[in-house]
This record gives sequence, C-alpha cells and structure tokens, in this order.
Amino acid sequence: MKVTKENIAGIEVRVWRGGKGAPLLYLHGFEGHPGSAPFLEALCERFEVCAPEAPGFGQSDGLENLHDLLDMSLHQRALIESWGRGPVDLIGHSLGGMFAAELAAIAPHLVRRLVLVDSFGLWLDAAPLPDPFTQTPDALAKLKWHDTANAAKEPTAFDAATDNKATFRTINLSAATKFLWPLPDRGLARRAKYISAPALIVHGESDGLIPARYSDELAKLIPGARVKRIRDAGHYPMIEQEAAFLDAVLTFLG
Amino acid sequence: MKFHWFAEVTYPELPLEPRPGHSTWVTPDWKLVDPVKVGETYRMFIRLMQQADRDGFDGLAVNEHHQTPFAMTPSPNLLAASLASSTEDAAILIIGDSLALYNPPQRIAEEMAYLDCVSGGRVIAGFVFGTPMDSVFAYGNPPVELRERFHEARKLILRAWEEDKPFAHNGKYNQLRYVNVWPKPIQKRPPIWVPGSGSVETWDLVIEENYCYGHLSFSGLYSAKPMVDAYWEYCAKKGGDMNPHRMAFTQLICCANTDKEAEEKYYEGVKFFYQSNMIDPGFVAPPGYTSIKSAQAMAARVKASPLLKPEDRVRAARGQMSFWEYDEKGYIVAGTPERVAQRVRELAKDLRIGQLIACLHMGNLPEDVAAMNTHLVGTRVIPQLRDLWADQPDHWTPEISQKRMAAKAATKVAAQ
Repeated sequence: MKVTKENIAGIEVRVWRGGKGAPLLYLHGFEGHPGSAPFLEALCERFEVCAPEAPGFGQSDGLENLHDLLDMSLHQRALIESWGRGPVDLIGHSLGGMFAAELAAIAPHLVRRLVLVDSFGLWLDAAPLPDPFTQTPDALAKLKWHDTANAAKEPTAFDAATDNKATFRTINLSAATKFLWPLPDRGLARRAKYISAPALIVHGESDGLIPARYSDELAKLIPGARVKRIRDAGHYPMIEQEAAFLDAVLTFLG
Repeated sequence: MKFHWFAEVTYPELPLEPRPGHSTWVTPDWKLVDPVKVGETYRMFIRLMQQADRDGFDGLAVNEHHQTPFAMTPSPNLLAASLASSTEDAAILIIGDSLALYNPPQRIAEEMAYLDCVSGGRVIAGFVFGTPMDSVFAYGNPPVELRERFHEARKLILRAWEEDKPFAHNGKYNQLRYVNVWPKPIQKRPPIWVPGSGSVETWDLVIEENYCYGHLSFSGLYSAKPMVDAYWEYCAKKGGDMNPHRMAFTQLICCANTDKEAEEKYYEGVKFFYQSNMIDPGFVAPPGYTSIKSAQAMAARVKASPLLKPEDRVRAARGQMSFWEYDEKGYIVAGTPERVAQRVRELAKDLRIGQLIACLHMGNLPEDVAAMNTHLVGTRVIPQLRDLWADQPDHWTPEISQKRMAAKAATKVAAQ
C-alpha cells in the first residue's frame, strides 16, 4: 500500500491506499494505525482499500478541531465523498469500530456493508470493561492477545525515520482518550437503530478488552446484525487468525 | 519572604504495610477508614491553621484532592470557609481550585468571591490543573481536554469578576446565557497563583499573565532545582518578571528545640507521610495529560539532575531513609529554629523563592507536635527571614494581609 498525506476538509491526515476493485474503507483501532499490515494487503487483492489515520493519531493532525463524535463522523464522510467511490464497504476495528458504527448511522447512503471488529462503543453496567489506559504492558498484552507471543506480529505505522519512539504511543493513546475516556460510550446504543447497512460483528473469543457479551449486545442493537466469533484470537483477530478473519469478512462482503 | 502554613489532610490511621495492588489514590479501600476519625482530623487542621494565623504566618494554604486518604480535601473552599470566618490576618491561600472539574466554572468565581468577602479581602486565587489522579481518573475528564477546559474556565472566572454587567459565554465546554456572579470579590481581582510540574505551556501562561508560579512537590530542593532553575532561565529569556515573590515552593519543616528532639518527634510522621502517598503506576501519567512538547522537555531535565538519584526517590517514598537522610537529601528541613532558618534561607536563595508553603504537619503527627512546630516556625524562624527579598514588592499576596502583618510586627517591636 502507498501512504500519502491528504487534506480532508482542512484536516491533514495520512491515508494508506492500495488494490483494485470495489471500494473498502478501513478504520483503525485505539492503539494506532497498523500501516501496510498483511491483512490490509490481503484485502487489496479484492478491493480498492482506503485506510486513513484518524485525526490526532500518528502524524495526522486536527483533533483540536473535532469536538465530538459527530465531528469525527463528518470528517470521515468528507473523506468518502472526496474519494468519490461511495457507497463503500466499511470495516472498523476497536475504536475504529465505534467510528464506523456512528458513520453508518449518520450517513447510511455511503455505507454498503458494515463490519465491526472487537468494537468499542457500548458500556454494560453488568460487565464493566477493563480500563485500557491504566494497564501495565504485561497486563495489557494479556487482555489483548489470545497468545501473547503474537504481540511480536502486531503491525504498526511507526516510521523510524520520522516518528519519535518515546512519544509515538503517547500520541496515539492521547487521541484515543478523546473518545474512550472515561468510558467508551458516547451514545451508540441510542443511535445503532439507525444503521441500515447489513452488519457483521466480528469478535475474537479471547478478547479481554471487549468481552463476548458486548458483541452480542451490539448485534441486538443493530438491525439484522449477526456475530461471527473467531477462535484463538483476542482484540486483534486479523493478526492472530488472519485466514479465519479474512474468510469471515470476505464471505460477508461477497 | 512570605510563609504560608500548609498540610496535606492525611488520614492518620491508615495501615501502611505493603499490600500488592493497593493504591492510596483513586481506588483506596474506604473500609480502612473511620468517618468519625476523619471528622476529628478536619477539626484538628482547622485549629492548627487558626493558631498559624495568630503565630504570624502570612497565609493559610488549602488544596484540592479527590479519592485519597493522603489528602482528604475534596473542596478546598470548604476548609477555606472554616478559616475565612475564624481567622483575622493571614491570607486564605486556595492552592487551588481544579478549574476543569467545576461545571459550570463560575461556581469557582462565586465561592472564591464569597470567601474574599467573608475574610475581608484575604483570598489568593490558586488555579490548578489537578493531578492526573484527581482530574482525569477521579473526575473522568479525557486528559487531552484538560488544558482547554482549564483555560476556558480561567478566562470565564476572570471575566466574571471583572464585568459589572451580565454577559453570555459561548465556549467549547460551557455555554451560559447570563453570567453575572454574585457576590464579587472585595479585591477586584484577587492575586492569582498557578502551580505547575514543569509544563512549558504553564510557564508561558504565568510569565505572560504575571501570575505567581509554584512548584509544589514534597521532594525538596535537590529534586526541584533542575526544574526551578530551568523555569527562571526561561522566564529571563522571555523577559518575564524575575521577582522572587512570584515563585512558591512547598517544603516539609520539622522544627524543635533541639535536633535530637526533632528526630524523636517527627520521624514517624515523616515516614507515614511519604508512605501514605502510594500511587498506582497506571494513574501517574495518562496519555495526553502532559503535552508531547512538555514531556520531552521534562524528560531532558530529569536526566540532567545529578543531585537526587532515582533510587533515593524510591527509598524516600517507601519510608526507608533515616530521619537525617531525609533532611540531607532535601525532603525535610529539620532541627532547631536557627538551623531551620539557615537552611530555608539557603533554599530560598538557591531557588529564588519568595513564597514558602511550609508543611508543618505531616502524616500521623500528633497535634501537640504540629502546634509546637507552628509556634517555633511562626515566632522564631519567620522573624529571622523577613529581610529576605524585602527590597522587592509583593504583588501576589493580598494587600490587607500584608498591612495587618506589618502592623502586627510593629506592635511586637514596640512591645519589646
């Protein structure tokens, strides 16, 4: 995939693009953009993939101009419109899943099919989520991965030539706090009923950050949504079980 | 120089044996605490601060923390209210209200104005960001929003004091159709202090607005020196006001009639103080609380500090230093009034400090020892240090307190 800086309605973000075929938009998770990750390259074989970095993450600016989730959705709407290929298939992972669900509710005409992967966006009092921001590295790894040995495979947009190692993660997590702090609930439960695109909820069975009942609840709230569980995978099923993930997603997107 | 009496309102009976996973901030176990004892502790601090007013302190400092037995003062304005109506001369140093946590923020404008009216114009308005534990964990603000919320509140409060007509406020975080705070302060605009932990954004603010800055740590001279030196250097470079009265510093002081008595009476309280400030590492540095620019500047300064080793900090926090090692490493200033006065003079000159926030009670110190400390410092240390920076005007404490302190000193001289 190729990465370039693009100006979306006044906000400069990095966008990874590649492949040919039907348009597919991928929104990354709370820890940052995965760069040209193998699973994205695999999607490029079937789709024209566009994977933007969210404002405030990595080398993308403009978070100070986004006050809330509506502003973020409008930014993403502008991105699809400037691309000129909507409606798109939309995959959102983790925090990106929360963004994708909101976008699908607000701009249904731009979303053909929706895939939410281990998505944030809900809060259930009966099953409080762990705080992703206070964990030690070891504790976070245990929550994130089915097998912590897979941590070494985690793809990243980190660029040694331009990024500072000490601050890269802080930049990404700082931006994530805007939408996940103190609880990752900005009202999706109220708005999910407006989603009209066919939706697939993908869930890594061992995800300690987003337990299974959150996927079930999301499926209940989004009309017609169904859940696909991925065995032996945690918060990153596309990394830990790439083949099973791609199979589920490609089957659904058709 | 000026002296402000201060103590963290620490719960004195917390069992401190190491318990894995226990933090005395954000998630401490309330089952370990007796609310009756909490009430007695509050009353003790009110008595001690009333005594400090009589004993010659320039100010009585109160602060804001949440969800911790280390500092049980969720609203400094409540403690200040007890003092405003029961003391006479000393400034009421609110250091400070956490601006981002009050919604709408004119609550602070109102309460500080109330306190200024009750005290006859003795309020110092301290505006703080709040520690990460307070502002982002206990009160749930996304760390990336904290600075914006602080500045919006700060500007709103100042305007609310200044305007004599109702106005509308259309902010990012607060929308108000009719801002018209009631009452307004006797001092049209009370002196403003903004303490910080080394963020360059805060330096720019205090230099530009000529606020009193403060370095409020409990780690003493050597820990503070790289940061405070860097601040003054930055201030000089920016053409800011170099008056030492616009720099505040906290220091634990343990004063007694002999050095031996100091060790006997204060050592347990000092250890208890540091040990009861156990912060889970997860709560120390949430992403976005410190800007990237400031984080890089602060990291560079820590590396440049040769005076206090990281292992010293760990041992101090665990109560593993001897009493005189705490003193030698700067965590406390202990001993006879003469020794304390000499060391405070060195410290104040070294760091260019005109406002000393003296912590005269610490941990589980008995009330009578804190009362002795207050009396010795008030009557035998402070008078020795009045000459320091006396050639420079102090625009950062209330005029009425300065006048009354001067009158009190003159009466004392006349009586001798």
